[in-house]
Amino acid sequence: MKVGDYNNIIAGQQTSRRRLLQGAAGLGAAAVGGGFGAFSSARAAGTPSADEMALRKAILKVPGVGKGSPTDADWQKVGELCLGPTKARVKPGEFKGVQLTFMGLNNQNLHDFLFRGFLKPWETYTGAKISWIDVAQADYSPRLQQAIATGTIDFDLLEMGAPFEGEVCGKGLTSEMPEEVKQQIDVTDLVNYLKPPVGTWEGKTYRVTIDGDCHTINYRTDVFSDPDLTKAWKSAGNSAPWGNPRTWQQVQKVTKFLAGKQVAGKDVYGYLDAPKPWGGFGFYFLASRATAYVKYPGEKAWLFDVDTMKPRVNSAGWVRAIQDVVDALPSEPPNQINADPNTTGFQQFLAGTGSLVSWWGDIGQNANTSDSSVVGDVIGFDILPGSDDVFNHTTGKWETLSSGPNFAPNMAYLGWGVYVMSRVNGDSAKHKAAWSAAAHLGGKDLSIWTVMYPSGFQVHRQSHFNIQEWLDAGYDKAYITNYLASQSNSYNHPNVAIEPRIPGIFQYYSLAEDELAKIFAGKVGAQKGADNIAAAWEKLTDQLGREKQIALYKASLGI
Amino acid sequence: MRGRAAASRRQAGRALILVASIALVGVILLQILRAAGEIQVGFANWRPVLYAYVVWAIALGAGQVLMHGERGRRALFVLPAVLFTVAVVIFPTLFGFYIASLDWNLSATSGPRFNNFHNFVELFNDPDYWNALTNMLFYVVAVLVEYAIAFGLALLLTAEIRARKFFRLAFLLPFMLSPVAVSWMIGKSIFEYRFGPASNFMRFLGWRTPAVFAHAWTARIGIEVMAGWVAIPFIMILLLAGLQALPKEVQEAAQVDGASAWQSFWRVTFPLMLPVSITALLIRIIFQLKLADIVINVTGGGPGGATDTVSSYIYRVYSDRSNVGYGTALAMFYLVMIIIFLTVMLRLANRWTRNLT
Repeated sequence: MKVGDYNNIIAGQQTSRRRLLQGAAGLGAAAVGGGFGAFSSARAAGTPSADEMALRKAILKVPGVGKGSPTDADWQKVGELCLGPTKARVKPGEFKGVQLTFMGLNNQNLHDFLFRGFLKPWETYTGAKISWIDVAQADYSPRLQQAIATGTIDFDLLEMGAPFEGEVCGKGLTSEMPEEVKQQIDVTDLVNYLKPPVGTWEGKTYRVTIDGDCHTINYRTDVFSDPDLTKAWKSAGNSAPWGNPRTWQQVQKVTKFLAGKQVAGKDVYGYLDAPKPWGGFGFYFLASRATAYVKYPGEKAWLFDVDTMKPRVNSAGWVRAIQDVVDALPSEPPNQINADPNTTGFQQFLAGTGSLVSWWGDIGQNANTSDSSVVGDVIGFDILPGSDDVFNHTTGKWETLSSGPNFAPNMAYLGWGVYVMSRVNGDSAKHKAAWSAAAHLGGKDLSIWTVMYPSGFQVHRQSHFNIQEWLDAGYDKAYITNYLASQSNSYNHPNVAIEPRIPGIFQYYSLAEDELAKIFAGKVGAQKGADNIAAAWEKLTDQLGREKQIALYKASLGI
Repeated sequence: MRGRAAASRRQAGRALILVASIALVGVILLQILRAAGEIQVGFANWRPVLYAYVVWAIALGAGQVLMHGERGRRALFVLPAVLFTVAVVIFPTLFGFYIASLDWNLSATSGPRFNNFHNFVELFNDPDYWNALTNMLFYVVAVLVEYAIAFGLALLLTAEIRARKFFRLAFLLPFMLSPVAVSWMIGKSIFEYRFGPASNFMRFLGWRTPAVFAHAWTARIGIEVMAGWVAIPFIMILLLAGLQALPKEVQEAAQVDGASAWQSFWRVTFPLMLPVSITALLIRIIFQLKLADIVINVTGGGPGGATDTVSSYIYRVYSDRSNVGYGTALAMFYLVMIIIFLTVMLRLANRWTRNLT
C-alpha cells in the first residue's frame, strides 16, 4: 500500500491504522517455512496482517538488502512510511511550538542518526521540534549519572539500556507509559525475556523497547569447511571433525591451532578477544566467555552472591575464563591487546580478520547490509559456546552435567529502549508529544526495518521471526534462518544469564576492565587479578550502600 | 566644607560596601541553609549567588572611588581582574578541595558525605595512580628530546634557506591540529597494524609484527611521538622568536674570534637563549603533565597501564566510575605536586642560568 493511499483512507474514514489493518487476514504463519521449532510459539502472537505485511514489505525495500548502507534519505523514507499510527492519534501540526530534547548514542553513526531520520517526518507532521544530545558509548554512563546526581536532567526523551533502570526509573525520573502507547506499540509482541520486569519498575511500565540483546558467536563458514585446514587438523592428531567449535574448550583448541595458518593466502586467526577497556562495556565480552563456566542451571545468580553481594568474579569459573583469554591472546592477531569490542566486531571480523567473535546481533545485520563487510557470504551464527563442565558455586566444585555441555547465553545489556522523562509530566502537550515520538520510534513496523538493517538494534519482537519477511527483503534463506535461530535459541534458552539491574553496574565493569587489562598484559596473574577485582567491587558496594544494592539485586533477579 | 563632603563620601562608600557585603553573605548563607535542608526558603539554584557577587563587586568598585577618590579610580584598573580571578580560579580551587574531601559516588543513594580526607590517604595506596605518576616521569623527560628537535628546527628556520616562509608554515601545521584528530590519523590509521602505512614500512624494514601499541615501551614511545609531533612546533616557534631577538653583534664577534659553528652555538647562542628555553620548557611540561586525549583514544592507558597518564586515569575514575570525590582528590593532589615540581624546577633553572651567564 502506498503511503498516500493509506493517508487518504485514514483521512476519509476517520479510523485508526490498527483498526484499518485489523480486518485483514494474518499470513505470518502461512508465510513462514517450517524448521524453526523455537520460533513457532513466537510467531503466533506477533503475526502481522496482510495490509500490514504490504506496508512492511515496502519498508524493507528501503534501500534493499545487498544494496549498500542505508542513508539519511532512507531513514526519513522509513519514518514517513511508518507515520500511520501517529497520524491516527495526532492532528497535523498539533504539537506546533513544542520543543523536545532527545539524548542518545552516536555509535557507528547509528542510533541518534537513525532517530533523527525517522523523526524528521514526524516533526514535519506534528509541528514539534527535537534537539539532540549525541553521546559516545564510552561517555554515555557518566553523562547520564552526572545529569541524575546534579539534578540537571536536560532531556525529555532518553535512549537507555535496562541496566540503568534501577537508578533512573527507581528515582522517579521517568514518565509512566500511557495505556494508549502500550496499544500503539503492541507491547504483547515483545519476546518473553524483554517483558516485565524488564522495562518496568514497581509494577509501572516505562520503556519503549527498541532492541533485544544477547551475545552470540559469529563464525566463518569458509574457515571451518576449508579442506586444507581439515587435513591439517586431522594431521595434528585431533579426533573430532574440523568445524565450528561448540564449547569454549574447543574454541581454545581451534584458536591455538589456527595461529600461523593461512586460508586463500591470508593469515587466519581463531577467536577474537576484546581486551582493551571500553567504558565498562568491554566486560560483557569476558562475561560471554564465563557464563558457560559459572551460570549453574537452576541458579539465577552468577555475578554476585544474592544475600551478601559478595563478588563471584574471583571464583574458579571466572578465573578459568580470564585464564582462557590470557592463553588465547598469543594465538590472536599481534595487536589484539589493543582491540576493544568495536575493533573486534567491525574492524576485524567484518573486515575479514579472525574466524570467531562474540558480539551482539549487529554483526549479522551488518554482514549483508554494510559497505564495509566482506564476510556476508561466509558467516555462520550460533548461541554462545558451552562448557564441558560447570562450576557449582554452592559446592565449590566443577561438575560435568549428564545432559552434556553447559550452555548459558549472555543477555548482555537487555537491549536499548526509549524512555520519556518525568519532567514532561507537568505539560500535557509536551507529555503527549514526547510519548508520541517515543511510540513512533518503538513502532512495530519500524522495528522490523531497524533489526534488518544496520541500526545498533537487534530482533526483540515475536513478529521479527517471520522468515518470509527477511526473504522478501532479499536475505538468503539459509543465512537468515541460521541468524534468527542463534538469536531465538539464546532468548529462549532455559539457562540464560541475566545481568543485575543495579545502580552503578558499569562502575563494577569499569573497575574490572582496568584490572583485566593488567592481567592480559601479563602484569598480574589471573587469580590475583580476579581477587583485586573482587576487592574493588566490595569497596564499591560499600560506597554505594550494600543493603540497598542487595535489595535491588534481588529485585532484578525476581527473588 | 570640602573636608566634610569628603568625609560623607567616605562614609557613603563604606556604607555601600557594607550593605553589599551583608547582602552577599546573606544570600550565600540562605542558599547554604536551603541546600542543607535546614530551611525551605531560598532560590531554586545558585545563580542568584553569582548575581549577588557581581552586584557586590560593582559596589566594591564604586565604594573604592567614593572612599579614596583618584586612588580608588586607579584601583578600578586592577579590581575587576582580581575579582574575576577570585571567581574563576581561587574559588573553584578551594571548592575543588571541598569536593575532594567527600565520599561522593554519583550512583550512591546516600549522596555526598564528608569522609575526613580519607581520599587523600587512599590515593597513597592506589597502585594505578602511582603507575600513572611513574609514566609521567617518562613523558616529562621526553620533553627534553622534543626541545632538542625544536631547537634544531628553529636554527634551521633562522638560517637563510630557500622557501623559509613555506617551511615555517609547514612546521607549524601539526600544532594547529587537534590531538584527538592526530590520535585517530596517526595512532589509529597510519600505525594501524594490518594496513597502516607506518606498519607496512616497518614490515618492509624487517619487523614482522609491527604492533606498536601492544608492547609497553613501544606503546609509550608511540604515544610520545604523537604528543611530540603536535607540541614540537609550539616549542620551535617560541625558540624562533628568541633566536630572532638575539643581538647579531655577539654572534658576529664570536665568528671574528674564530669560534667554530658548534662553539658559537654552545658558548654563545645556547646560553643567551636560556631564558627563552626555560620558559618554553616550562610551558611545554605543564601541557605534557595534562596529557590525556591521545592516550584515551589510542591505547586507553594500556597495555596494562603502560601508557596511562594521571589525567587519563582521573578521567576513568571520574567519568567511567562516577567517583567524583576521589577523582577530585587525585586531581587536587596532582595540582599540588605540579606546583611544587615546577617551583623547584624554576629555582634550579634560575640558579643554573646565573652560573652559566
